Amino acid sequence: MKNIFLSFILFAGITSAQERYTVSGTIMDGSNGETLFGASVFLEGTTIGVTTNEYGFYSLTAPKGNHKIIVSYIGFTELKKEITLDRDQKMDFEIMEFSTQLDEIVVTAEEPERVILRKPEMSVAKLNMKTVKQMPVVLGELDIIKSLQMLPGVTNNGEGSSGFHVRGGAADQNLVLLDEAIIYNTSHLLGFFSVFNADAIKDIKLYKGGIPARFGGRTSSVLDVRQKDGNSKDFAMTGGIGIISSRLALEGPMFKEKGSFLIAGRGSYAHLFLKAAGQDNSANFYDLNLKTNYNLNGSNQLFLSGYFGRDAFELGESFNSSYGNLSGNLRWNHIFNDRLFSNLSLIYSKYDYDLGIVIEEFNWISSINNYNIKYDLKYYTSEKFKLDFGASGIYYDFDPGQILPTSETSEINPLSLDRKKAFEGALYINAEHMLTNALTVQYGLRYSFFSRMGGQAMTEYADDKPVVYNQLLGIYERGTAVGETYYEKSEAIKTFGNLEPRVSLAYQLSDNSALKAGYSRVAQYIHLLSNTTSVTPLDVWTPSGKFVKPQLSDQFALGYFRDFDDKRYSLEVEAYYKTTDNRIDYIDGSDLIGTNTIETEILNGESRAYGLEFLARKNEGRFTGWFAYTLSKSEQRTPGGNAGGLGISDGKWYNTAYDRTHDFSLTGAFELNEKWSFGTNLVFQTGRPVTYPNGQYTYEDLSIASYSDRNSDRLPAYHRLDISANYRPNRKPNNRWKGEWVFGLYNVYNHKNAASVSFGQNVDTGANEATRTAIFGIVPSVTYNFKF
Amino acid sequence: MKTYITLAIISILITFSACTDVIDVDVQSAPARLTIEASLDWEKGTSGNEQTIKLSTSKPYFGSTDYSSVTGASVTVTNKANGETYVFEDQNNGEYTTTSFVPVLNGTYTLEVIYNNETYTATERLMPVVDITDLTQSRNKGFNDEDLEVNVIFTDPEEEENFYLFKFKERGDLLPYLEDADDEFVNGNEISWYFEKEEDESTDKIEAFVPGDIIDIEFYGISEQYYNFIRILIEQSGGTGLFSSTPVPLKGNCINESNPDNYAYGYFRLTEMVKKSYTFQ
Repeated sequence: MKNIFLSFILFAGITSAQERYTVSGTIMDGSNGETLFGASVFLEGTTIGVTTNEYGFYSLTAPKGNHKIIVSYIGFTELKKEITLDRDQKMDFEIMEFSTQLDEIVVTAEEPERVILRKPEMSVAKLNMKTVKQMPVVLGELDIIKSLQMLPGVTNNGEGSSGFHVRGGAADQNLVLLDEAIIYNTSHLLGFFSVFNADAIKDIKLYKGGIPARFGGRTSSVLDVRQKDGNSKDFAMTGGIGIISSRLALEGPMFKEKGSFLIAGRGSYAHLFLKAAGQDNSANFYDLNLKTNYNLNGSNQLFLSGYFGRDAFELGESFNSSYGNLSGNLRWNHIFNDRLFSNLSLIYSKYDYDLGIVIEEFNWISSINNYNIKYDLKYYTSEKFKLDFGASGIYYDFDPGQILPTSETSEINPLSLDRKKAFEGALYINAEHMLTNALTVQYGLRYSFFSRMGGQAMTEYADDKPVVYNQLLGIYERGTAVGETYYEKSEAIKTFGNLEPRVSLAYQLSDNSALKAGYSRVAQYIHLLSNTTSVTPLDVWTPSGKFVKPQLSDQFALGYFRDFDDKRYSLEVEAYYKTTDNRIDYIDGSDLIGTNTIETEILNGESRAYGLEFLARKNEGRFTGWFAYTLSKSEQRTPGGNAGGLGISDGKWYNTAYDRTHDFSLTGAFELNEKWSFGTNLVFQTGRPVTYPNGQYTYEDLSIASYSDRNSDRLPAYHRLDISANYRPNRKPNNRWKGEWVFGLYNVYNHKNAASVSFGQNVDTGANEATRTAIFGIVPSVTYNFKF
Repeated sequence: MKTYITLAIISILITFSACTDVIDVDVQSAPARLTIEASLDWEKGTSGNEQTIKLSTSKPYFGSTDYSSVTGASVTVTNKANGETYVFEDQNNGEYTTTSFVPVLNGTYTLEVIYNNETYTATERLMPVVDITDLTQSRNKGFNDEDLEVNVIFTDPEEEENFYLFKFKERGDLLPYLEDADDEFVNGNEISWYFEKEEDESTDKIEAFVPGDIIDIEFYGISEQYYNFIRILIEQSGGTGLFSSTPVPLKGNCINESNPDNYAYGYFRLTEMVKKSYTFQ
């Protein structure tokens, strides 16, 4: 592998040794100075071109001479400029939107969302904020996570639950980054809202596979969300007033236009109404996004960004709970020269919750903290070769749980579960290499390293078995603790290292079609513990260590991409096959709450997922939209291993809780005229696998259900239709205030989608019955959005 | 105590969103199994000589709850320490009884059931329990500040791990309520265990306690193994909602020696038990 790398680099060096010059710079939105990520910069009549990086930076190297440079980006007027390449030069471009009207439906080609045929990037779902804004919204709030679920390969976890699933992966296998900071919980109010405030977000990118070497740590996907930098030209205000929540964002230039800032806040106030209506129970959330940057000089820029979000629940006098993410990131962009770009990031993020059990006079708290340092470089070696490389280190501090009695009279004794500490490091290198005009390859390698650090005692088990199979009773039981070993702070309890190769290639079959293929291996060292039917905000993360091994996944993907009718329509078809080793599952009757020794509750297994994804888009015209369909399978197997016995469900393959055979969605936007536009979503999904009773018997004068094998039944199919209408009143051209009404109807035909089906006895008749819990019926919403 | 944490999560969801209704669903149908309800409970202050073991077979989940009782089986219990065997007589209604059982605290007993030429066996220990020191009533505990609840007060022994089972049944109700407890977070403390019936607003089927209501309380000392069994049974019989654990096939301690795959439902338990009644004022 190493030799191949070297020879490619040498080869690349030779090709660039001719008389060539480099033009580099930043592409910005002319109206507000926001840098544009993913804008294309091409030389007309050549294959030489790049897309801008996360900071709007580009670098192009081409033979000496006169060229015509073309800059284009979604919904922006294409810019052409003659340049004479006779020396290395720096050139920043500002491009203008077609219209600066609020939420104007852009009825033109949306380049970055179109199939980019030459890039070896595949299995990527990129949604522009404009597209998100056209989609119908639930409860009047734009929701990035729900929008992503309209794309193939991405499913929800059922209503009323946090998290999402990518290509048959678990919710904890998604790496969610907000300005590079890890976000541990993506939803507010148990999935009703996402934590991402659309006013503060610049762009989102979801890697479903073919994860670039610069990312690692989660096996299923990477959701890369970037905040806006803030308007560097003018002071601006945007906001929205809705029934349940409202939001406001302020942005503007700072430091004499050398910098800018953005502050965005959101809050819900439904709890106020509930209180006013005499309800003892309340639920609310708020969040705050901050961003500022300062341009030291042409080649050094600093960014500071932060996020703080919180949810709070109160159930009368009995329970209260609050939880949320907190993150901060300080970044330094440094441009060494016109071909070498670097970024250094210092990141902190935290997720914590506090559950108050008032009736029993105690609080239950838990948190995960991480400190992250990252250094990423991109070297634009030549027009045919680009190199990414870098390093990162994450220090984790897990506080799995503490019980704090809240009064002298509390019956509860204080308790602290062992804090756990770990370090995750990585080095990576990745090359994007254009071998011929039709074939571009991306190949890279990541080396990840994980150390579970000491400073705590670890339980020792008889025969080194934390879980044992009771042959007699046919059940898994906790192993016998025989002692404890204390590990010093300087000592590692266990270390792991993994090489993670990533390869993808794009072969252009014709002007409008391409074939792409990819392979990636990803290691995941931390795991979310959850034995409930749905992921809850109160689930706890745990690091790999002596008994919990890192998850290792291999994914193969193959795709066919095609544009039709002069790019008016596009089609993407992808197939994937993914296996994951060391996927944990929980023994029957596992108990995770307040358990110090997680290893006594789990078995190590494996999972596999495969599927076929189909996405057809209409990109232009008054009517735009897409149709997505996924046919897939996701299953796991958990043999007894060291513990003995056959394992969970006798060691057979069983459905994961997020297996969806069919997932169909249709999204459309229609612009009627300047004032009115409409959006619609239609979703149909196979019901989630669940475990239903397969019989009953009598015990203690009760009818007791016996249950079938794990996840061998399914909830009824999930389907719904949403519609929305946007109304933009007449605007005076010189008026800075621009307003818009958004009317939404979620689940138009009021289908009671089962979030769960629960079985029990009717207390009057004693007969068994199945009770469906449905979360959203039809939900109307009205929001007034404004921009000033 | 853990129950509260789980309960808190479930309540959050139910309170804010839930719209529930009874629906028809198709379920799988497993072959019938023998159910052994061998609960030898020694009420404090009695001789404990009279004991009953119930045998029945399981049925499809939806359908009548008239369980087919099992007759013609042979049922014996043996005290392991002295080899004394107690034969339980077939009453031909699914009940097998004895009047000569001799309970010994912390004694180990084995059960043998022979049915359909298959032999089922189980071994358990008779667990002691502390006394209920007081029964009180209050309104300020539990989910609802206005509803009455009964408090069962007892002192947990500090030197060992203890596991408890409560059975609450209001006179006139069809179904009892089972609750399990361990002393993990409350070891050695005086414990006040409350029980209230929360009104079911959507169906009006369940009504909160009012003065004059009488509740029968049974309080058992149980083994850790039985606790692990009954905890899952209680959780699963309370319905399996969105945030409850994935339900699992539940295996008790009665092993089919002749054909291990054909294991029996139910459990062979031996407990010391306190029985009380309380009339709400």
